[in-house]
Amino acid sequence: MNIVVIDYGMGNIRSIQSSLLYLGVKSVIVSSDRNDILKADKIILPGVGAFGEAVREIKKRNLEKHLAEAVLKDGKPILGICLGMQLLGLSSEEGGFNKGLNFVNGVVTKLYGEGIKIPHVGFNQIQVNENSRLYNGLNSEPDFYFTHSFKMTSEDDIGASHCVYGSRFVASFENNNVAGVQFHPELSQNNGLRLLKNFIERF
Amino acid sequence: MLRKRIIFTLIHSDGYFMQSRNFRLQKVGNLLWLEKNYKFQHISFSLDELIILDATRNQKNLSQFASIVSGVVNDVFIPVAAGGGIRSLADADLLFKSGADKIVLNSLQYENPLIVRELVEKYGSQSIIASVDYKSTAEGHLVYVNDGSKKIEYSLKEYLTYLEDLGVGEIYLNSIDKDGTGFGYDLETILNVKDLLSIPLIIAGGAGNEKHLLEGLKTDGIAAVATANLFNFIGDGLPNARNHIISLGENIANWNANS
Repeated sequence: MNIVVIDYGMGNIRSIQSSLLYLGVKSVIVSSDRNDILKADKIILPGVGAFGEAVREIKKRNLEKHLAEAVLKDGKPILGICLGMQLLGLSSEEGGFNKGLNFVNGVVTKLYGEGIKIPHVGFNQIQVNENSRLYNGLNSEPDFYFTHSFKMTSEDDIGASHCVYGSRFVASFENNNVAGVQFHPELSQNNGLRLLKNFIERF
Repeated sequence: MLRKRIIFTLIHSDGYFMQSRNFRLQKVGNLLWLEKNYKFQHISFSLDELIILDATRNQKNLSQFASIVSGVVNDVFIPVAAGGGIRSLADADLLFKSGADKIVLNSLQYENPLIVRELVEKYGSQSIIASVDYKSTAEGHLVYVNDGSKKIEYSLKEYLTYLEDLGVGEIYLNSIDKDGTGFGYDLETILNVKDLLSIPLIIAGGAGNEKHLLEGLKTDGIAAVATANLFNFIGDGLPNARNHIISLGENIANWNANS
């Protein structure tokens, strides 16, 4: 198994890398190089930070083209994590209007709701989609670690599982080979390790 | 439902982990000691989050501290925040690269709010914890920076509002009077200020046993309880406390997957 973790200069990818190695993945390459991406069995798109800046960093490296080639043309499985998940969507209103990679129909807007504190930080429970592959082997409302101020919603059936904080939003989606999680599996203890294992084995 | 969090704070100074009492530091052991006595990879499975703070008093050495952070976080799959002495974007970058998922700021917030805004813009609010050290006196709640050595002119309430305006993601509120005493949190002050904030509040200073953690967890408007008490929660102290708190039905996370 060869997994490429996309490097575009945003945030801490060390814990993702070490959790994949911990799970026994033979080769974990941190890269933004086209050849590495096209040779990968699976791709992880991480991300911490602001959407607009992330899009600029992605374009600087031509990653939108390389990722489209690998994911849309070659059908390689991709898992977006946190901001990485939001980037797989259509657009975000964070820091002005910005377009995403448009691999799924999801729109990112600010979290809102009466009496809630923002950012949404900590473990929260997931309402799991019954057809989910990502949550295989986990209990019915598993806890995962969130830390974010913007949320994705979708009008399409993108295989979403949900979380409620202020309002109901996409905690994860799994649409054929394109998957994303708003939370951080690499920071979610045993639950997160199991989810990553499911992505490795079931996608 | 959003869970409340139990956080452990490791206080580091010049290569050693410390027990702090009213901000006076007592050396406990180095990284080897920590691994031997705490089996951190194991303990971490009963924590929601880990905070590592460099409290080295005179000249802080950020690159030494960063290598300590990267030693602690190996195979620890929980969120880790690190700070102490961050003065620039480059300092923050170094800690993120060393395995920190968030950074903790303190004196910088007072000294250079512009850099704080830049950090918020680059990493997002959710990556930044604002640490606040205060003392309670007859004149009110006084705020200190530089490891509790320098009093500033803001009142506690003014300072919290100021920090929230800077765009930080969470507040880590630490009572210098209660620090390391094991007498329980300063709930009086906490209750007095918590409703000012629209960002999550982490309370610190004073937890000496499971009962204190519970008092904090049961209080509305507190997102997380922290303890830095290496002595009281040594060995299985923390896992046992967590299991007991879960058995009491408190709203904290369960991680029961078989990986």
